[in-house]
Amino acid sequence: MTSIGIVANPASGKDIRRLVSHATVIDNNEKINIVERIVLGAQSLGVDKVYIMPDSYNIGYRVLDKLKLCEELKCEIEVIEMMRTDSMDDTVSAAKYMEKTKVGCIVTLGGDGTNRAVAKSVKSTPLITISTGTNNVYPVMLEGTVVGMAAAAVASGKFDVRLFTARDKVIEIYKNDELKDIALIDAVISKDVFVGSKAIWDMETIEKIFVTRSHPASIGFSAVVGCKTIIYAHDDFGAFVDINNGGSFITAPIAAGIVDKISAGDPEILGFSDEYEYVTKNRGTIALDGEREIEFSDNQRFVFKIRRNGPLHVNAVRALETAQKNGFFIANNSDVSELFQDNIGR
Amino acid sequence: MKISNEQLKEMYLTMLKIRKFETRAMDKFAEGKIPGFVHLYLGEEAVATGACANLRKDDYITSTHRGHGHIIAKGGELNYMMAELFGKEDGYCRGKGGSMHIADASKGILGANGIVGAGHNIAAGAGLAIQYKGTDQVCVCFFGDASTNQSTFHEGLNLASIWKLPVVFVCENNGYGISVSQARHQAITDVSVRATAYNMPGVTVDGNDVFAVYEAVGEAVARARKGQGPTLIECKTYRFRGHFEGDPTVYRPSGELEAWLKKDPIPRMENYLKENNVITEEEIKKMNADVDKMIDDANAFADNSKVPALESALEDVYTDIVEEGRIR
Repeated sequence: MTSIGIVANPASGKDIRRLVSHATVIDNNEKINIVERIVLGAQSLGVDKVYIMPDSYNIGYRVLDKLKLCEELKCEIEVIEMMRTDSMDDTVSAAKYMEKTKVGCIVTLGGDGTNRAVAKSVKSTPLITISTGTNNVYPVMLEGTVVGMAAAAVASGKFDVRLFTARDKVIEIYKNDELKDIALIDAVISKDVFVGSKAIWDMETIEKIFVTRSHPASIGFSAVVGCKTIIYAHDDFGAFVDINNGGSFITAPIAAGIVDKISAGDPEILGFSDEYEYVTKNRGTIALDGEREIEFSDNQRFVFKIRRNGPLHVNAVRALETAQKNGFFIANNSDVSELFQDNIGR
Repeated sequence: MKISNEQLKEMYLTMLKIRKFETRAMDKFAEGKIPGFVHLYLGEEAVATGACANLRKDDYITSTHRGHGHIIAKGGELNYMMAELFGKEDGYCRGKGGSMHIADASKGILGANGIVGAGHNIAAGAGLAIQYKGTDQVCVCFFGDASTNQSTFHEGLNLASIWKLPVVFVCENNGYGISVSQARHQAITDVSVRATAYNMPGVTVDGNDVFAVYEAVGEAVARARKGQGPTLIECKTYRFRGHFEGDPTVYRPSGELEAWLKKDPIPRMENYLKENNVITEEEIKKMNADVDKMIDDANAFADNSKVPALESALEDVYTDIVEEGRIR
């Protein structure tokens, strides 16, 4: 049996960035449409079963109902039965279940935060990430139908996944020598004293930015580093910069529609054997992939490390290219003959 | 967003006032001291507190049938509120309005309202008045999730957006319209997405996190003061009691209340204040004692106030119409 998993975060696309920047609203009905297209793309290339994370909007059940109603559902859809908390914990639990069930590929719909949650529990299952927002670096904008087709190619087991996957870097954040959390793209030390509405946008509050990768074509805090130096996902190092500490001013896109002038120091490279110790002087927060997650008071010790311990990330375009080169899309004779018979019948 | 320790303590005090006022109202209703209906705000304290902490005295709010929390957060007098709940003549409406009609124009409180969805258009009207006068006041409009199915929601948001009125629409999404869960009364989970239909920003925040509410409403208020128009903010929250006192809440799935009690906004804020050395245990004890006394005083004030005289029944209403009717 060929199976895939889908994690669609119902909370993404509605946070305060719609108010403090020019970010787009992605409602849950649009997520249903995307999931539908993933399922249709995947089943057309041999996926027999799709596991979907349960959520407060019942995205999985609504997709099931819609596809049954229009008589287009060929594969089995299972909405995972688990105790829902309507929090990020659901994403962690569902992804863990999918990995344990050995699905061939997991598709995520959400932002950097959603994928950070998935990365906490998925190590060996290849991950395809679709962006449902405007402030993301890790997931990319891709049409659901072709994502479903790519997921089918990955899950088929017919190709060497090394051809189209790479293990991602993460920033590991330790507090008193215990792993507290991870970030996939950036970790930011902020003077904001509470987590509150989570998103972070005021550059005046920023003290340091750590990144696994950086590029001027990104958006968010990694772009601040990216406008100084480019670090690719495949580079075996990350970096950090001091902000608002006398560095030269650069212009960078820190959020959708917000391009600010920021005082940033020269990036300092953090290799896989390096670690950066930070002892807090005041109250503040650490934002992970754009969302404040960790509150701290004064005199607390944190250590930041860049490691290649992240998920196995699929390059969906390359997966489809690999599939094409190996004849994956050539319809088998029985399918064609059925189609031929149908056409004669008409 | 900057916030001083004094502001934090003030917000905590406001949440305590609401919690203890509502708890006393619950007890007094059970004792038969309060006529009519009461709809308690227990569990939703972070929304009114976080929102109103951004407001000045000359700003406006419109409220709902579950309005005690809004009125306390905007500076309403506990004595007059309790007396009104008791139906006494020293109450805000001289004992003739009850829980659902408390207003205090001197503090910008444009009134609780027994009609679901009535506040949207009153808020748009207040916004238009502010715009006409050319001041930088704002109006915060509180309402529930089910009221967003009323035509008034469309009318109010449409007017506010087309005229760029300084109104912040704050939806208290507690998951129920009376006994009907949100899943059964609308085909969306996030009311904030309705903002796109009016070309205004719409955001969803954790309504049991006073900081999240404070931050979001703060940004929206700043935007409104600058003349940039309205915002829709959805605060996900939960009422710990029934729709009204006496509601057996049989429609709630088992375990739902218990899950939300774990997210009680008051212990959440208290833990934050303690962990960050903003407040000491002694200060918390003193604040609790101070608020207990305020509630006792309000209770005594209400107890000692008289029931309105029968002859006053036709006072403070549109007497001309009543007189005309009587003459005919």
